[in-house]
Amino acid sequence: MKQIFTLFCLLLIWLVPLVAQVDSCNFSISGTVLDAKTKEPVPYASIKLFGEEKFTTTNIKGEYTFKSLCTDDNTLIISCIGYSESICNHHHEHGRSPHFYLTQKVHQIESVLIEAEEIKEEGTQSIAQVTISKEMLTQNPSQSLAASVASVDGVSFISTGSNVQLPIIHGLYGNRVLIVNNGIKHGFQNWNRDHAPEIDVSSANSITVLKGAAGVRFGPEALGGAIIIESNPLYRREPFYLNMGTSYETNGQGLSSNLELGQGFKNWSYFLNGNYTKIGDRQSAEYNLTNSGKEEKSFGFGTRYHLKNFDVKVYYSFVDQNLALLRSSIAESGNSFVRAINSDEPIIINPFSYEINEPNQLTQHHFGKVEMNWWYSEKAKLTFRAGRQLNFREEYDVRRNADKPIIDLDLITSDYQLEWKHSGWFKSDGLIGLQYFSQKNRNNPGTGTTAFIPNYDTKRLSAFLIESKKIGTNTLELGFRVDFENNFITGRETSQAIFSDEYSFNNITASVGYVKEISETISFRTNLGTAWRAPNMAELYSFGQHGFKSSFGLLRYYTNNEGRLRTNRIIEFTDSGVEAEKGYKFINELKVNNDKNRHAITLYSHYIENYIFDRPLAVIGTIRGPMPVFIFDQADALFAGVDYNWERQVSEQLLGTFGFSYLWSRNIAENEPLINQPSMQVNYELSWNQPNFWKFESSKLSLKPTYTFRQFQAPKTVSPESLINGSETVTQESEIFDFTDAPNGYFILNLAWRFKWENFGGSITVENFLNNSYRDYLNEMRYFADELGRNIRFTINYQFKAKKS
Amino acid sequence: MNKFRKYSLLVILITAASLTGCKDDDDDVTPAVTAPPMENEEEVITDVKLIFTNSADANDIVEARAQDPDGEGVQELAILDTIKLDVSKTYVLTYEILNALDANDVENIGDEIKEEDDEHQIFYSFSNNAFANPTGNGNIDNAADAVNYNDEDSEAQDGSGNPVGLSTTWTTSATQLNGGNFTVRLQHQPDVKTSSSGSNDGDTDFELPFVLSIQ
Repeated sequence: MKQIFTLFCLLLIWLVPLVAQVDSCNFSISGTVLDAKTKEPVPYASIKLFGEEKFTTTNIKGEYTFKSLCTDDNTLIISCIGYSESICNHHHEHGRSPHFYLTQKVHQIESVLIEAEEIKEEGTQSIAQVTISKEMLTQNPSQSLAASVASVDGVSFISTGSNVQLPIIHGLYGNRVLIVNNGIKHGFQNWNRDHAPEIDVSSANSITVLKGAAGVRFGPEALGGAIIIESNPLYRREPFYLNMGTSYETNGQGLSSNLELGQGFKNWSYFLNGNYTKIGDRQSAEYNLTNSGKEEKSFGFGTRYHLKNFDVKVYYSFVDQNLALLRSSIAESGNSFVRAINSDEPIIINPFSYEINEPNQLTQHHFGKVEMNWWYSEKAKLTFRAGRQLNFREEYDVRRNADKPIIDLDLITSDYQLEWKHSGWFKSDGLIGLQYFSQKNRNNPGTGTTAFIPNYDTKRLSAFLIESKKIGTNTLELGFRVDFENNFITGRETSQAIFSDEYSFNNITASVGYVKEISETISFRTNLGTAWRAPNMAELYSFGQHGFKSSFGLLRYYTNNEGRLRTNRIIEFTDSGVEAEKGYKFINELKVNNDKNRHAITLYSHYIENYIFDRPLAVIGTIRGPMPVFIFDQADALFAGVDYNWERQVSEQLLGTFGFSYLWSRNIAENEPLINQPSMQVNYELSWNQPNFWKFESSKLSLKPTYTFRQFQAPKTVSPESLINGSETVTQESEIFDFTDAPNGYFILNLAWRFKWENFGGSITVENFLNNSYRDYLNEMRYFADELGRNIRFTINYQFKAKKS
Repeated sequence: MNKFRKYSLLVILITAASLTGCKDDDDDVTPAVTAPPMENEEEVITDVKLIFTNSADANDIVEARAQDPDGEGVQELAILDTIKLDVSKTYVLTYEILNALDANDVENIGDEIKEEDDEHQIFYSFSNNAFANPTGNGNIDNAADAVNYNDEDSEAQDGSGNPVGLSTTWTTSATQLNGGNFTVRLQHQPDVKTSSSGSNDGDTDFELPFVLSIQ
């Protein structure tokens, strides 16, 4: 995707359409193609209408016309072939036939939306994927990364309250979904369900969700898919631009402002951006959610220097977050947990406040990256990337020593990547890469409690090869990767005795994919990919109470000779029988794009060996009273599902979009359900696009009802009371259970109005218009409180663009 | 290439190098990772001792212990002793609350509770009318019920602090009791403790059901 933007900066295209509309097949588009640099017309550029057998070329003045079109919503493909080499001098960066895909909407006079979805990263061409544009992201600048991608079918989020949200793709989340920020794996404390990636969505240029196992291209942890966040592309020859946006939301009285500015010159370019968000306590339909606000500050800049065939980019970004967790979610004993989950309302409800108290999480994330590209020949390029990330995290809990953080960790991540991209090498196009990754985790003193996560150093050396070959309308893609990973661990037992361990993994990952353009309107892609991941530190070393439960990691418990569970020693990794997770994902996508109807259907199945999950085990007597005990366990699991999306252009102005997703999953080793899996969802969005309404150049009204079904595959329910009073007993062999029933299905209605007026764009969106009370199965706070009630958000953006650079 | 270009490229390269760290400090010769810092484990309570002292005779002491030797581990809590009191006597109940996970460095958690007495209260429940004073069955079921607290927290704004319960007074009844119960519950109530807050407000630091006999 980056590539197309690089070309974009060399060749800006203005399309000035003139429209005449009489009856159904009497639309026309005409315009001019100009060179961005010289503002000269580009003659003989070939233009094709997507989905139709219609071609044209620009005349000597750069003009073109299409007549007798049956719709006003056409996609034009502007090809560089036949274009003079001097203007398209970097075209080898795009393979042999670079295309622009422009969706030309007749009522948008000057702006042309470029959708680069069809240009995909190497090794992912055959994987179903969806890209969310900056335009969509700016509609809600204060949302989390997970919430911003949740509109994609098959993607939702799993959360701990309204601030800590982790994206979930086809039932997998956490470190089974790789988050690639600006080309580098986001290095953060990625364990349990209460740690979300520190990414400021308002600074992203686009976000792509890969739904297949992209382990070959991106490395371990991309089992369930990957989320790729692209930063400002740093176009050259870009006149000075300044974008400012601000928003206000009624629920939580949240304010958010963001700013971005930049400029591209002949040889270099830069950008700067910043964001500030402050949200107070949110409200459910009926009560305040005490301590649910957040504060986020972020800042970033980048610069690029370009020589004839050499290019350097430097990026830096900083995110500072203070995220509150619901006060009523703290239950330190079995009794208070029972009380909290049996209460219809949270135990503690205070009046609205912007104040953030314990429990909360403070994180600061620094990101620095350098990328160098060298196009040493017409057909090949070398890329070197080096990244360093510093992640400082403090978590505060309601406890006797609430002023001290209970978790205080520094995580330092370094990445070095060397890639050789080539075309026409043994008649195939591809990418060969070498990667070195290291991560260092350190506990800071002063927590007043034994470190929950040990200190560790992880080092990984990887090499991968991806080749694709195009034969007619068929594309075959093959990938292969090897990883060598070493882990050194030193931690403390609760007695403060030191333990240490060392273990390593050597893994081979492979993928095979196939893309077939069946006709101009139908395409099919299929991919079989593998991926693996090492168990994370929480899965291995958790010990004792965290939140309302006591959990024990895979290396912290064993069964003694008498068949009783014991936790008094730590098992060495090599003696434990614990293995890395390995996933095999088969994903198929069929896309049909007709004039009025666009269908996309994705079918997948996913088998995971040694799938790690936590499950309730027993209730034991502790000094705090009876406590539910959880252990981490491993078993083989199977996932299968379908995502379906259907867009229908009902009339010139009216567009309907139907979405559906369903996932079936099961622990096949024990033949029992899995816990915390997304349930079936259907949604429909009806939007009315009105050009030139009153003063607005464009105005779009949309209505989106969504129904989320009750999770009918949830484990059986065993109430904590019945465990505490002994009327139910569970053992290590018992079937998996949950403490409460899965919440009922719920209906949500969202409304939005978006407009554009001169340099201003804005929106008014209403979420949960009916102010329904509901709980979501994937929110850990479902035990304690309802989801958010109605929220009205007002957003206004101002875009300034200088006429000339 | 002009000078400006040359130098700006150099600046970028230097920035790049400093950002990513040319000196590779990841490859130490010894792979050993330093241990996390030693912490005084302040969260865990392993030993609670109830100390009943006869108010008429300081040498007449009755003790009852509860122990969870592995702290957060899965070993069950053990109530080691039965509380054996004499009939018609007045006792002052105090506590010894420890974290003894590290035998060489025993933490006195009782001191910490005293420091944060405005966030803590001990509640009691016992066999009905086991005591002549207080009467009834204690204040776990109903916070307004009688328990003779000897202490009050330091947050007293107007001279009337709220009870803590690290010291309480008990006068046994004249009738004998066998196999009765005496439960102590320490509640942690940050920003929650008030004159009317009860045993269900806040979170439980310990809850220990002892057997009580009065002979």
